[in-house]
Amino acid sequence: MAYEPVLTKHCAARDGYTLDFYVKNQRGYEGLRKALALQPNDIIEQVKASGLRGRGGAGFPTGMKWQFVLKDTPKPKYICCNADESEPGTFKDHVLMERNPHLLIEGCAISCYAIGAKVAYIYIRGEFYHVQEVLEAEIEKAYKAGFLGRNILGSGFDCDVFVHRGAGAYEAGEETALIESLEGKRAQPRIKPPFPAVAGLYQCPTAVNNVETLCNVPLIVLNGPEWFASLGPEKNGGPKLFCISGHVKRPGVYETSMHTTLRELVFGEQFAGGMIDERPFKAIIPGGSSVPLLLEQDLDTPASFDHIQKAGSLLGSAGLIVMNDSVCAVWLAMNLLHFYRHESCGKCTPCREGTDWLFKLLLRLESGDGQPKDLDLLFGVSTNIVGKTLCAFGDAAATPVLSTMKLFRGEYEAHVREGRCTLPAPWRAAHPVVAAHQ
Amino acid sequence: MARVTIDGRPYEVPDGGSVLGAVRAARVRLPTLCHDPRLAPSGVCRLCLVRIAGVARAVTACTTPLADGMDIVTASPELAAARRGILRMLAARRRSRAALIDESHPYIRVDMSRCVDCYRCVQICDEVQGQFVWHVRGRGLDTRIEPDGASLRESACVSCGACVDTCPTGALEDRLGAAHGAPDTWTRTVCPYCGVGCELDAGTRDGRLVAVRPVIDSPVSRGHLCVKGRYAFDFVAAGDRVTEPMVRGRGAWRTVTWDEAYAVVAARLGDVIRRHGADAAAVLTSARATNEDNYVAQKFARAVLGTHNVDCCARVCHAPSAAALRRVVGAGLATGSFDDIERAATLLVCGANPTESHPVVGARIKQAARRGARLIVIDPRRIELAAYADLHLAVRPGTNVALLNAMAHVVLAEGLGDRAFLAARTSGLEEFRRFLDAWPPSRAAEICGVDAASIRRAAVLYATGAPATSVHGLGVTEHVQGTDGVAALINLALLTGNIGRPGSGVNPLRGQNNVQGAAHMGCDPGVLAGSVPVDQGRVAFERQWGVALPSAHGRTLPQMLDGAIDGSVRALWIMGYDVLLSNPDAAATAQALAALDVVVVQDLFLTETARDYASVFLPACSSFEKDGTFMNAERRVQRVRAALAPRGGSKADWQIVCEAARAMGAGGFDYAGPEAIWDEVRALCAGARGMTYARLDRGGLQWPCPSLDHPGTATLHAETFARGPRAVLEPVPYRESSQTPSTEYPFQLITGRTLYQFNAGTMTGRTRNADLRPADLLDISPDDAARVGVGEGDAVRVISRHGTAVLGAHVDATVAPGQLFATFHQPAVRLNAVTGEGRDPVTGTPEYKVTAVRLEHA
Repeated sequence: MAYEPVLTKHCAARDGYTLDFYVKNQRGYEGLRKALALQPNDIIEQVKASGLRGRGGAGFPTGMKWQFVLKDTPKPKYICCNADESEPGTFKDHVLMERNPHLLIEGCAISCYAIGAKVAYIYIRGEFYHVQEVLEAEIEKAYKAGFLGRNILGSGFDCDVFVHRGAGAYEAGEETALIESLEGKRAQPRIKPPFPAVAGLYQCPTAVNNVETLCNVPLIVLNGPEWFASLGPEKNGGPKLFCISGHVKRPGVYETSMHTTLRELVFGEQFAGGMIDERPFKAIIPGGSSVPLLLEQDLDTPASFDHIQKAGSLLGSAGLIVMNDSVCAVWLAMNLLHFYRHESCGKCTPCREGTDWLFKLLLRLESGDGQPKDLDLLFGVSTNIVGKTLCAFGDAAATPVLSTMKLFRGEYEAHVREGRCTLPAPWRAAHPVVAAHQ
Repeated sequence: MARVTIDGRPYEVPDGGSVLGAVRAARVRLPTLCHDPRLAPSGVCRLCLVRIAGVARAVTACTTPLADGMDIVTASPELAAARRGILRMLAARRRSRAALIDESHPYIRVDMSRCVDCYRCVQICDEVQGQFVWHVRGRGLDTRIEPDGASLRESACVSCGACVDTCPTGALEDRLGAAHGAPDTWTRTVCPYCGVGCELDAGTRDGRLVAVRPVIDSPVSRGHLCVKGRYAFDFVAAGDRVTEPMVRGRGAWRTVTWDEAYAVVAARLGDVIRRHGADAAAVLTSARATNEDNYVAQKFARAVLGTHNVDCCARVCHAPSAAALRRVVGAGLATGSFDDIERAATLLVCGANPTESHPVVGARIKQAARRGARLIVIDPRRIELAAYADLHLAVRPGTNVALLNAMAHVVLAEGLGDRAFLAARTSGLEEFRRFLDAWPPSRAAEICGVDAASIRRAAVLYATGAPATSVHGLGVTEHVQGTDGVAALINLALLTGNIGRPGSGVNPLRGQNNVQGAAHMGCDPGVLAGSVPVDQGRVAFERQWGVALPSAHGRTLPQMLDGAIDGSVRALWIMGYDVLLSNPDAAATAQALAALDVVVVQDLFLTETARDYASVFLPACSSFEKDGTFMNAERRVQRVRAALAPRGGSKADWQIVCEAARAMGAGGFDYAGPEAIWDEVRALCAGARGMTYARLDRGGLQWPCPSLDHPGTATLHAETFARGPRAVLEPVPYRESSQTPSTEYPFQLITGRTLYQFNAGTMTGRTRNADLRPADLLDISPDDAARVGVGEGDAVRVISRHGTAVLGAHVDATVAPGQLFATFHQPAVRLNAVTGEGRDPVTGTPEYKVTAVRLEHA
């Protein structure tokens, strides 16, 4: 059965992003109208029944997250939409915001209503200048049309949506760091507990949800939780956007169900269309740069949260980074650590110091100066980071090292033994990411 | 208590708090770099990682709440490896980091090459001091901690030293005393400066005071100090300390033995009393000295000299607070505690600049405001707290009473009073209401220069934000309506039920370490120790002392000086008080001092008063060199302990007074030490009975503490007022100051204190604080400066009807047009030549806070 896109169906339409188009062709704001006739708790129940899981990376059930939001409090509550989308290999949320902004705006309004908030902040990453323009213009139109503001659709419900653009820090995508940044502070993570549901933005109860997550909310309200759940495997229902990049013929954002296997996504004609120049497939990072690699043998795994986890990795942000045989595992790890070292917020010791240490060790190996003991040191430093940092950044940063060392130990040893990389290196040679640091 | 298992062993530890707290309580070693009990746990260094049974990840003990039954593992190969790994990372990094040294600050050395990015300095500057000087810039490995200026000296730093105190590595270090090595002995004592009464640890080595650090478990200061307490201690070892007694003969000083000095004192005082009667002698005591010093000094006046002519410098500061509180609620004491700052929903700061004058309390107020307490500031100047306030009323100097009456008017007119409290605990409401009818905000607005809407809003904020506490300073008391001003504040509290419960109260911020104690020990012509009026205490004191108390009324400080001029006072004994520099109308003070036959000065230094007028100088030792007690502004009696031996031949004030008394043949002055004196105070004063030295050695106690099992009193007047069941709401008519601006004298000069200098400058003037704020300056608003053509640093002559002084100008937008502000720290400036003869009619307290002046280029 062919999958019919619901999130991105009209993304290619010239005026698909406009309010008029949204109302005419996507039953726009009908979900909101329907939601406002329900009790807030009914919406939470529907979202729970749908099995919607967070699309930002952790895959946590959204309904449950909302249920944790403190109810008996005189404080205001907030929805924070995490639109920081900074995970390497991930580029789905900006498509939604740019090409289907009203789906997100409607999702924000319904979610606010569900948890008892009156304000949603959309925190977009520092580099999304163009997205800010589009979003703010469309939010303005939603206000004019009475879908936002005071007494929405005569229901008595008030809701404001604001866009806040960050200053360009990967860490701002961590939910508590995002909240800190929104409050005007450095984007550094907070200690949990308390979780944002109890003490989030301005110490008030807050739900932080990813863009794609919130975009699914109007669809659930409109079509029902059963419809949503039926689209995918059990507990992995709904539409899913996959960002495919790397050595594939047609990189891009593809919407499908989580029944779809990694192999279909990489090789399927309706998806990425196979490897460039038909070079052999080497590995795939299935969930953005922070998750373990999978190999050829894992490609028949359906790309769902649970199946990928069973296979030893994580679906994460569904950023599929595909690599051919020209990619050296040591170079890959160094490339990613170059990123993590640059993005470490600097708050806690193992991450701030450890990412630099890992990078320097990898650089030494890549430069041909590696010693046998460096491999032990790499492993030792990585294990001193994993599980020992304030937020998940540390685990993310150590994963590329631990995963490549586990799967491609031979390549590491060859670097030490030969004093050079033994793989053919057309890609690497053309992309000397670390030249400036040598 | 919680039962936990730590490394396989069972422990019982206090409930609440963190896993780290439990581990520390169990005395199990667990290293930390980023932990400080004064700060919110940050979990940054990751050294205190532990494993807890049932928790998947290793967690930081400092950030994990403790739960009963937890099974905690602090030591394992995995955790040891993690800790070693972290330290290796930090060590490896340090070697590669270029030194970042900043030696711009006189007290603090910065060497960020030693920094481990624990952020404690950043946190303590934010969370305790509220100054936000340290900033984190960059991220990841480029993270660096920098002050908010080009250097620390040029930053917003207020030199409290909190960052130095918390720094675990020496990246921030004290410069003072560094040359003498680390202290080998620490002595817990009380700060010698303001009336907050912060406890501090005095570090000594080789008989020298080399460092001071805050005391973490002090209930007052909670591990914080200000620049004065932490750094301004070098006066103790100043080269010009006088350490041998001196007698002046034919204009020249002659060093003598103590016995000779006492003989001269005895002979000359005896001579005056024989010829002119006992009331021709008078004693002035010091709010810088201990309770014991002050107690024996007033006993000396009453029992040896035979006069009630005894007063102390409370006369020139908070006597109006004591008078008004005694009159309305029955006790001349703060009604609440500093802890009410954190308990209050609303804070009213009136005529006080706590962040400079009482910095540790100022910091607590700032933090309370940051946490969301309402803050109302009533002060002519836009003081630092105004920036944190919901409302700042820039009242014209000398018009507090009008403003407070109008606020009371609003409370009654809008029905915002506490009806139950008014009915049960006050009287005179109807008469008071009729009086207030004439005080709508519109009337006060014209007098005070504050718009009526703001006055109304202040009243509503105060009355609707219960509990509300007020703190006030000399901006209320040092006016011709000083006592009235305090009474008006008390009226507001009574109307709204804000006396006698936690978080409420009327609390004078006392200016000096023991100003509360000095007055309370009976250094006041009208009251005996324990603030008992002479007539009420006569019998008990006569029995204890074995002498008859004099019958004639005593003289207050201003009356003593008046008496000197008219010849009725001939001898003055002055203990630790530079009268000439600190009294107003210096010309009149000089005339009075010159007219005296005998002036005995007991001090650390040859003060202006001593140099010009003393006949005998008795060298006293500092509070770092003696034992005793101070009573702070919240009535807390705290132990002062000797960290050093008295310098040279100097002696403790109590000892000097007792030895002089014995030289004059008096009995009852042979105390074994301060504790024996205090025990006599305890025998005479019910409120002190429970405060033995043994108890005080374990921590301060708040007066009254009537029995050995009494915990001390945090809140007075809880059930009933000290004066009886009801307090009288007293109409307080407004009177205008005679120092209103005129064409001849168009400016109003306000005098006060700054952060870096203290009163007569006797102590701070002999420290490196002078590098941070060099001199008395005349703060002038930018408008006025432009209008009269005065630029920054220009020398300006300030002229009043009483005298002139020359100061450098400082253009400062916190001062309102038409007003000027200056300190009186410097002998060379002698600003009190300018201040006038106005006095509060009730207490005689001088009108320091408003003087009509004009300016000329000097």
